Amino acid sequence: MIMPERIKHEPLDSKDAKRPKAEIHLIKDQCKGCGYCIEFCPKKVFEESTEINARGVHPPKVVDEDKCILCDFCTTVCPDFAVFVVERKDSEDKKT
Amino acid sequence: MTEKKELEASSVEEEPRIGVYVCHCGLNIAGSVDCEAVAKFAATLPHVVLAQDNRYTCSDQGQEGIKKDIKERKLNRVVVASCSPRLHEPTFRKACEDAGLNKYLFEMANIREHCSWVHLYDRASGTEKAKDLVKMAVAKAALLEPAEEIEVPINRKALVIGGGVAGIQAALDLADTGYKVYLVEKEPSIGGMMARIDKTFPTMDCSICILAPKMSDVGHHPNIELLANSEVAEVKGHIGNFTAKVLRKPRYVTKDCSACGECIKVCPIVAPNEFDVGLATRHAIYTPFAQAVPATYIIDMNLCLNKEGVVVCDKCMKACERNAIKYEAKPETVELEVGTIVVATGADVFDPSVLPNYGYGKFMNVITSLEFERLINAGGPSHGHLLRPSDMQIPKRVTFIQCVGSRSDKNGKLYCSNVCCMNTIKDSLLIKEHWPDTEIYVFYVDIRAYGKGFEDLYQRARKAGVKFIRGLPAEIKEDKRTRNLWLFGENTLQNELYKVNVDMAILSVGLEARKDSEVIQRLLTLSRNQDGFFLEAHPKLRPVDAATGGIFFAGCAEGPKDIKDSVTQASAAAARAGILMAKGKVTVEAITPITFSDKCTACGLCTKVCPYNAITLNKDLKRVSIIEAACGGCGTCAAECPFGALTQSHFTDKQILAQVDAVTECDADKKVVAFCCNWCSYAGADFAGVSRMQYPPNVRIIRTMCSGRVSPKFVERAFARGAAAVMVTGCHLGDCHYINANYQTQKRVEKLWKKMEQNGLRKDRLQLLWASAAEGEKFANKAREMKGIVESVTSEEIEKARKVFEKALKND
Repeated sequence: MIMPERIKHEPLDSKDAKRPKAEIHLIKDQCKGCGYCIEFCPKKVFEESTEINARGVHPPKVVDEDKCILCDFCTTVCPDFAVFVVERKDSEDKKT
Repeated sequence: MTEKKELEASSVEEEPRIGVYVCHCGLNIAGSVDCEAVAKFAATLPHVVLAQDNRYTCSDQGQEGIKKDIKERKLNRVVVASCSPRLHEPTFRKACEDAGLNKYLFEMANIREHCSWVHLYDRASGTEKAKDLVKMAVAKAALLEPAEEIEVPINRKALVIGGGVAGIQAALDLADTGYKVYLVEKEPSIGGMMARIDKTFPTMDCSICILAPKMSDVGHHPNIELLANSEVAEVKGHIGNFTAKVLRKPRYVTKDCSACGECIKVCPIVAPNEFDVGLATRHAIYTPFAQAVPATYIIDMNLCLNKEGVVVCDKCMKACERNAIKYEAKPETVELEVGTIVVATGADVFDPSVLPNYGYGKFMNVITSLEFERLINAGGPSHGHLLRPSDMQIPKRVTFIQCVGSRSDKNGKLYCSNVCCMNTIKDSLLIKEHWPDTEIYVFYVDIRAYGKGFEDLYQRARKAGVKFIRGLPAEIKEDKRTRNLWLFGENTLQNELYKVNVDMAILSVGLEARKDSEVIQRLLTLSRNQDGFFLEAHPKLRPVDAATGGIFFAGCAEGPKDIKDSVTQASAAAARAGILMAKGKVTVEAITPITFSDKCTACGLCTKVCPYNAITLNKDLKRVSIIEAACGGCGTCAAECPFGALTQSHFTDKQILAQVDAVTECDADKKVVAFCCNWCSYAGADFAGVSRMQYPPNVRIIRTMCSGRVSPKFVERAFARGAAAVMVTGCHLGDCHYINANYQTQKRVEKLWKKMEQNGLRKDRLQLLWASAAEGEKFANKAREMKGIVESVTSEEIEKARKVFEKALKND
């Protein structure tokens, strides 16, 4: 959360603020390693991994799933339909 | 727009017949000046046909006397030696006009603010100085010319800057009178500080409940155009005819928004809400509060993911049934033509994080009074439950600490912020109302319950069991485990130390001038006092007028005040603006330039220094023409002209030189010739007088409208006639009443210094002082410093200066 300079207290409802939880699915072998998702994700959720996929390139990996805000921009920019995001169900949320 | 006619050779052919009236002003003047002797002396001056002293010249009786003398004794010039012309010049000008004498044939000698009040204990010197001041006025009066004022039409539209309660009230009053009003608000919604407060003192009304109907009236009024989320970027023009450029920042949501709130549910971005001082969250698309006007939502593009035309997230767009989202909206600039401007820009609250001893920002349970307002407000983040931030529990022991940021020049501002005492009393009663068992301590310096119903409320709080303890805590310490607070200090009524344990501490923060006041000051060429608040034209008699014509103040922009005072002042400002617009025209003082085209070489220097672009050059005809309606009347063009082809009406070269000559006629080597600008330094010298600051009696003040009027030849003339020292004084750079004319002053004085140095003269005999209307002490200090300089100047040095500037003795 970006705190403006003069604001000194954490918002009282910051814990309750509705933040959808994301579940990011990568279809690694479909990736051709263009890196668009890494570059364009507004929350910088992805990073290049070291593994090599079926197409012989480094697919992305998810660094911090909690940062994802489900904007779906990665799905939009991916030329190979190799990534999609769904909202994590509440029941699963409670487990974690 | 008219072009000034050239001055005819001698517009007044008859011999001057001057009447001099020396006022006692009760004992204000007569207490330290022998007025009878001054009148007797005046009678001996050339052209004076009548000289008398009276107790109160400004009384009806005194004025009638002048009128009678004008008719019976055929006076064609009048000099009144009394108070500052800033106070009573209009009074006496009116009396002259009533008797058929052109008002520009009247002159004043300021023997109160500049003489009797600053030399209270030196009657002999005071009397001598008063004689000199009268001599100067008579010398100028003999050369006065009648003048006609031109009329400028007033545009019947008003601009109100700031949409707090003061701006709202001013806009509504003006709009109800029938004038078109543009209300410009920086924030996404109008309402200002009052919208954030829970209850108002002393009546305990719900703040937003009484404000919201007014806000909604503004939104619906046919005469009001509301420009929220907008800023004034530029203001040009003059009284009656201002052109303002307003930057309308985009909301990215169109007027089709029905404020249904569906977009908020889907926006993935969460941030603190500024309206709730960060105690609640909002999304990137939001409305600051439920009653916001305009109700249209807004997207905070600093937070939204869709930057630089790339739509990354379109969740709100998809959720909006009315298709009101427009990510590609661009800022636009609107140009407004208005006749009057009301400045209602409000105040900031003091930021206590600069005071380390109170631990604000470090200890969770130390909050400010503004944060408290949001906590106790039913519409706030805790739904009206006073929760302490550390554990979300209702506190059992609460303390208020007064004067945080007020009444101390070490820890904040020196002035009293007016509202905090009553605000705390109200807040303590609110706590007692909801949770009667809460222990409340109020640590104060003084409780100032000065208004109607205030003392009653104070007594109610005391009866309700609120403990008031005199003496602010020196330090707050936090218990790391419980997050409770320990307060240490001294009870100054009982001379004992206290150590109090509380669950929560509320810092009653003061008000301070807005950080961006400087921008408004520059745009509108206003003045501010030393505390940073805007300065009114007269603290008693013109409390809502700015010194710049056509501009008025409302609310905290002018000084800290409560809601009632803000509203009162807003209505007053609206009425004052309304008077101008109802008249539909205003007369411009006849102090515009006079051109002598036979001397003009069409060099164009005057057009370059004019702050108003009111001079146009015609190279073919070898002459300049003046646009009088645009002219501000500073006279810097006249000072710039090297050929004497320009002079300022009512402040002509001849008149000012005559004043210099009068000062230097005798004992010039003991005197200081001071040039003061009407708006800052002359007013500052007046302020020194009103405050009875004593300074040496050897200063003789010559008033010009602007320090930019002071031509180098005036200074040279003073030295050529043997003056010991010269002072050129004006508004601070950047504060000039005439935009930037005083930069010319600086340039000219620097040139003179160079000339003096080259000729082996002491530079310190010519002093340049920037003093605002509030800096009487600065003026007095300079006058004291000048005394030392005058005493150190030797007769050889005086002679040398006489020779160096010999040329200045010639009259063109």
